[in-house]
Amino acid sequence: MINKLMENYLDILPKSLWVTTCNSGSCNGCDIEIVACISPRYDIERFGMKLVGTPRHADVLIVTGPVTKYMTDRLRRIYDQMPDPKAVVVVGNCGSSGDVFYKSYNLDGPVDKIIPVDVFVHGCPPRPEAIIEGVAKAVMKLESLREPKKVGEAES
Amino acid sequence: MLGTVYTGFGYWDVSSWIAFFTIAAALVLWLRAQGREDYKEGTEQDEIYWSGNVVPEEGAEITVPASSAYWGFRKAMAPFYKILTGMHTGIGTDIVGYYVVVVALLAVFILL
Repeated sequence: MINKLMENYLDILPKSLWVTTCNSGSCNGCDIEIVACISPRYDIERFGMKLVGTPRHADVLIVTGPVTKYMTDRLRRIYDQMPDPKAVVVVGNCGSSGDVFYKSYNLDGPVDKIIPVDVFVHGCPPRPEAIIEGVAKAVMKLESLREPKKVGEAES
Repeated sequence: MLGTVYTGFGYWDVSSWIAFFTIAAALVLWLRAQGREDYKEGTEQDEIYWSGNVVPEEGAEITVPASSAYWGFRKAMAPFYKILTGMHTGIGTDIVGYYVVVVALLAVFILL
């Protein structure tokens, strides 16, 4: 299913999608699943996706965790340092809604209170397939920003 | 002045080297020009990435001194250093005395 989905997205993808991550207070469960995406079993690099270590090179920002007060400025700064166009994918329930940490005294999150979010991937943690699909959906947003006409043609 | 220098191992030609350097520099600049140009200058996109933190103005705040790399070594050898630094009084007569004692010991070992 993911292969078929990706084929459609890749038709309009002019370049490899580079992804960076930010742990804004996660328990690392989601981060482990993100790492699983680059393992041989899921191997996102076959789709041209790649994890990079700096937002300066990234197209997509994956955020995990419910955003603790300490991480608010850092998350905002990392988002600001990404070149345009950019997309944000929130991975996990904590980043999406706060989950069990909802309304906790030391949170500024969830993530969409701090930076604009394009895709939410729910789960605790989500499966790697879900993360890959979430990033693939972010491609649509990026391409609509890059070349609106081309996306329209691909959809029709 | 820009001639060829012949040595026992071959030759070194100044103009060839300059030509090579020019071609290599042009290639590097062309590769650099292929990079992204859509950064917005004067914004965070133009700033140094420091894991999301503010980059300190003072470089000394973010550097680790080289001596830190040897901390464990220095700690382990501290008893020996303590004796050695205690012996280094800086007094010339002490140094000469150590010299005489060491020479005497060596002489004893060599002669006996």
